[in-house]
Amino acid sequence: MTATGGQEPWNPARPAPTAGPRPSPRAAASTGSDLAAQIGLVARGDAAAFDAVFEQLGPSVFGVVKRVIRDPAQSEEVTQEVLLEVWRTAAKFDAGRGSATAWVMTLAHRRAVDRVRSVQKQSERERRIAAPDIPYDEVIEAVESSFERERVRRCLNSLTEVQRESVTLAYYRGYTYGQVASLLGVPTGTVKTRMRDALIRLRDCLGVPQ
Amino acid sequence: MKGKLTRADQGDEHTLAGAYAMDAISAKDRDRFERHLAGCEECAQEIASLRETTALLGAAAAQPLPAGLKERVMAAAAMTRQQPPADEAEAGASARRGRARTKVGPWLRSLAWPRRLALAAGGAVAAAALAVAVVFGVSNSSMQQQINQAQASSQQIAVVLTARDAHMTTETVAGGGTATIVMSHARHALVFTAQGLRALPASRGYELWLIGPDGTRSAGMLPAGHHGMTGPVIASGLRSGDHLALTDEPADGSAHPTTSMMLDVVL
Repeated sequence: MTATGGQEPWNPARPAPTAGPRPSPRAAASTGSDLAAQIGLVARGDAAAFDAVFEQLGPSVFGVVKRVIRDPAQSEEVTQEVLLEVWRTAAKFDAGRGSATAWVMTLAHRRAVDRVRSVQKQSERERRIAAPDIPYDEVIEAVESSFERERVRRCLNSLTEVQRESVTLAYYRGYTYGQVASLLGVPTGTVKTRMRDALIRLRDCLGVPQ
Repeated sequence: MKGKLTRADQGDEHTLAGAYAMDAISAKDRDRFERHLAGCEECAQEIASLRETTALLGAAAAQPLPAGLKERVMAAAAMTRQQPPADEAEAGASARRGRARTKVGPWLRSLAWPRRLALAAGGAVAAAALAVAVVFGVSNSSMQQQINQAQASSQQIAVVLTARDAHMTTETVAGGGTATIVMSHARHALVFTAQGLRALPASRGYELWLIGPDGTRSAGMLPAGHHGMTGPVIASGLRSGDHLALTDEPADGSAHPTTSMMLDVVL
């Protein structure tokens, strides 16, 4: 049998074998600790564990990378880099400092942002003129609805407009707070504060333990 | 310390927590904030909880993976040496303060590599043999040694293996053995490995050839096999219409094939 990329369509919607009918924060938490254990196995070179991590986090990594980068080909490249980095650096994951999901998603987002910024540097002026063209609704609605997405959407809706826009532009578009400030026409100090307030509010709304 | 100023600075630093957690700061600010974090356990905890929050924002944007992506990464992972964990024997008091952060930052920046160089991070060692092994369910520890020795071309190999158009083919070698070739036309290169090639006397070696409309070019001698595994080697300068051939030649190579082809693959 020859193995060629792309012959096995992979179904990210495959339900976890033991998952209950509806994800609850509790279920999410247990999934989280499973994931942490899987990352531990990945650090020992366990390919099956890496496969499991891939199934759970791959679509999230690709999703966030694509939100920021937009270009599909570049998004694929960065997604590959991120997941390979998870493999490479799994031993650095410290479950005492956060969840496996947060660790992976932090790598993903940072890498995506680094990619757009390196491009951005060349065309900074043009970018400054460009208006923000993607309201958060589009971000959330572009993807099929699910319980978790619903929750995120509800919590984003609970923010003030400036908070919401700050989060959307920063996280989903990869803008710096300085860029967000100029896009929204508010002082940088205000944006910094709004960003922090917004995330704290989201954290509480989403039930993330402090 | 400068009492007033320090307090003002700290207050100012702290408001950066949200921007930092969303990577909405410049590299300079990031460094500054990470230094601040290293000395502020409370801030580090806040950042951790905000990172959990942004992870949920990210997960809300999940999309089905493009076809083939997973296979490419799994194959590349199989060829990528993992970073060792922290050495428990050396982990002292310094390990307490923001180890992960202070290390991940510079490391990530070191990854501002050329596009597509997915495996080019410092110390990343890649070789095709193990991918082949994984794909075909073969495994032996000598392969890892081979992989460790393959530093010189690992970067080029990685480029081929992670190319979007990379594809793999396996062929039987006349005279014994199996060759596995991963090629990327976009990268004009292929990675060759073989398994179970007949051992040759020391005076002889296997030579790879690229045979195209413009003639025959040597793609280099295969290294000696190790526990039945040969390669990986990279052959670059691939052109469309090329064939890949393998012949038995004097150990220091020939200018043209002098024996019959043991392998002839249309690329």
